Amino acid sequence: MGVMIFVVLLPLAYPVVYSLIYNPEVVKDVKVVAIDDDRSSLSRELIRNIDASPEVDIIGYAPNMDEGKNMMNMHRCYGLLYVPEGFQSSQQRGEQAYAILYSDMSLLLRYRAMLVAATNVAQQMSAEITSMRLAADGSETIILGDIQDVFEIKSVAMGDTTEGFDSFVMPGVLILIFQQCIILVIGMRGGAKNEMSLYKTHDKKRGGKHVTDKLIGQIACYATLFVPIMIYLTYYVPLMFSFPMIGDEFEILLFLVPMMLASIFMGLILQRFVSEREAVFMIWVVTSIVFLFLSGLTWPRYAMSDLWLALGSFVPATWGIEGFVLMNSCGADLSQVGKPYFMLWLLSLLYACGAIAVMRLRRN
Amino acid sequence: MKSFILVFKRSVRPLASRRIYWLTMVVMPLFCMIFLTDLLREGLPIKAPAAVVDYDRSELSRRMIQSLNGAQMSRITAVYDNIGDARRAMQRGEIYGFYLIPENFQSDLLSVRTPTVSYYTNMAYYVPASLLYKNFTASALYAKADVLSGLLTDVGVDTEEIVPLLQPINIEVRGLSNPWLDYAVYLCNSFVPAIMQLMIFLTTAFAVCQEMKRATSPLWLRLAKGSVIRALSAKLLPQTIGWQIMMLFMLWWFYGKNGFVMNGSWGWMILSEMMFVLACQGFALFVVGVLPNLRLALSVGALVGVLSFSIGAFSFPYESMYGSIGVFSWLVPVRYNFLIYIDQALNGIDVYYSRIFYVAYIVFMLLPLLVIKRLKRELLNPVYVP
Repeated sequence: MGVMIFVVLLPLAYPVVYSLIYNPEVVKDVKVVAIDDDRSSLSRELIRNIDASPEVDIIGYAPNMDEGKNMMNMHRCYGLLYVPEGFQSSQQRGEQAYAILYSDMSLLLRYRAMLVAATNVAQQMSAEITSMRLAADGSETIILGDIQDVFEIKSVAMGDTTEGFDSFVMPGVLILIFQQCIILVIGMRGGAKNEMSLYKTHDKKRGGKHVTDKLIGQIACYATLFVPIMIYLTYYVPLMFSFPMIGDEFEILLFLVPMMLASIFMGLILQRFVSEREAVFMIWVVTSIVFLFLSGLTWPRYAMSDLWLALGSFVPATWGIEGFVLMNSCGADLSQVGKPYFMLWLLSLLYACGAIAVMRLRRN
Repeated sequence: MKSFILVFKRSVRPLASRRIYWLTMVVMPLFCMIFLTDLLREGLPIKAPAAVVDYDRSELSRRMIQSLNGAQMSRITAVYDNIGDARRAMQRGEIYGFYLIPENFQSDLLSVRTPTVSYYTNMAYYVPASLLYKNFTASALYAKADVLSGLLTDVGVDTEEIVPLLQPINIEVRGLSNPWLDYAVYLCNSFVPAIMQLMIFLTTAFAVCQEMKRATSPLWLRLAKGSVIRALSAKLLPQTIGWQIMMLFMLWWFYGKNGFVMNGSWGWMILSEMMFVLACQGFALFVVGVLPNLRLALSVGALVGVLSFSIGAFSFPYESMYGSIGVFSWLVPVRYNFLIYIDQALNGIDVYYSRIFYVAYIVFMLLPLLVIKRLKRELLNPVYVP
């Protein structure tokens, strides 16, 4: 029953629940309170434009900064848009008019949303004012009208083209879930064997003459169990939540074969050290967090120190995530993920030797 | 009192002698704390590898590449002749973005044919791509201003008039309390308590349910003179003390040793962590009471504990989630720990604003009372289902 929970519930239900949490993808309508000390048509226009941006929602006005801060402390808003006195008059004098958006820093996605709104609104209003001024002021019109667009700037998002949070984080998490599920299922079975001596004698009697024979049998058994799960996690879950999937599905499965093998062998090694099923479970759960960070999904690997870089290299999911994300989200083919693919085979080999050594030890 | 001490002593022994307790209560929490703070030590993953596709190869394009290279956030590792090469390098994971300068850029610029500069960022790697995006945008705007101011000076516009002419409206965004966007401050403060919550859930459920699995729970209850409350509190007190020490260490490690932002009072933070431990233990006992089976209680504890990392809304805001899902964030203790940290350590506001969160801790502590009768029945008649 324990194993069934992990084979059925963990890989089937867990990714769906996880994806649902992040499924709104983007942060919209961050609550901001405005403090307008200028009370001019220009300041009102600025506040209106910020409110109209998809990222920010102006929920109301505060008479002064203290009141605004109080609203923030009461957790009613996450930002304060402050327009100082003289905002419009300085613009009319030909100086730069500036406003300040104070942002709460508890969540970086909220900060990012406010930053995008502020940048877009400032640029859009600036362009309007400049062109209006040009229309009024004849002397500079011709030259400025020509050079206002000296060149255009265009930004293109690749990979996760919708820039959504779910589509960014989940493809990597799915691979990690796959690895952790394999290792847990195999590790728990080991615990059961060690706990019940009945199993042990049974195993010894039946075990083939050669450790490798037995190993091949076990791989065949686990592979039939995990290949359908692999297809579900890397094809059907992304399909359900419309994550990026521009890779070749067959090549992706081919890429994940050594990742599955390496995880199976890791599980077999772990079996040896498990005296109680529950113990392996308690330790293994928290390693998910460590592996997630080691994989470079959130904190890129180029910024890691050599120690963590090396440690991460021994985790199949690190290479699995790198290759899968590049193939699935960026459309790389198998030859372009040659390095992670090679590393996964190397890890399979390494852990296979480890598993054989461990099984020999147990027999003696 | 005597019986309390008897049970207390009885539960101290396995804590010291069994490897599993050392692993879950000391080794793993310490490792995770040190690992996360050390991994994110730099604060931001600067020097993201990026490339330039230079179709122009003019004096101006070379100057733009130079200014990109001087920027702190990016490192230009290659200059390609065509966009295909750059895209393939991105697919191999060698670069996280590239900047494209079109053919005849300089000559088009001078003859006012409005060329387009574009940049491509690989959003499948959110953090480095966001930094590159910011960097590329700044560089492009800077280059534009550079070209424009050159042209404007030529036609006799004063230097101080150029900025208001090009950017008459400016909205400055000021991050409060963590203006450096320090990822260590941002992530450690939420993830480490969430790891602690997970470990407390598991260890508490393990300690109690193992008595049932090994059928030693009737003896345990008899030692406590039949009182479940006495039995549980005496048994879990040694663990509580252990967790409290770990939490105090965490506070010192974050705000003392690593100098994380601490704008409020240590007192309220210490109180929060002390209550947090008890709240987590209360939650775990509640789960055990509902599902008095070692494997089931551990599974539910692990499920809630791991889901807390996302449902706790540490990265994706609560109000952006679907309402029917976001509501679950209020059902896990670590959410309140995070909110108190924001108020008391990060923003340093009056504790009055956080009062509700402290009350929530108390609710979690009282949760086991709901299942106390059922728990007693199960402890007296342990059934182990393998």
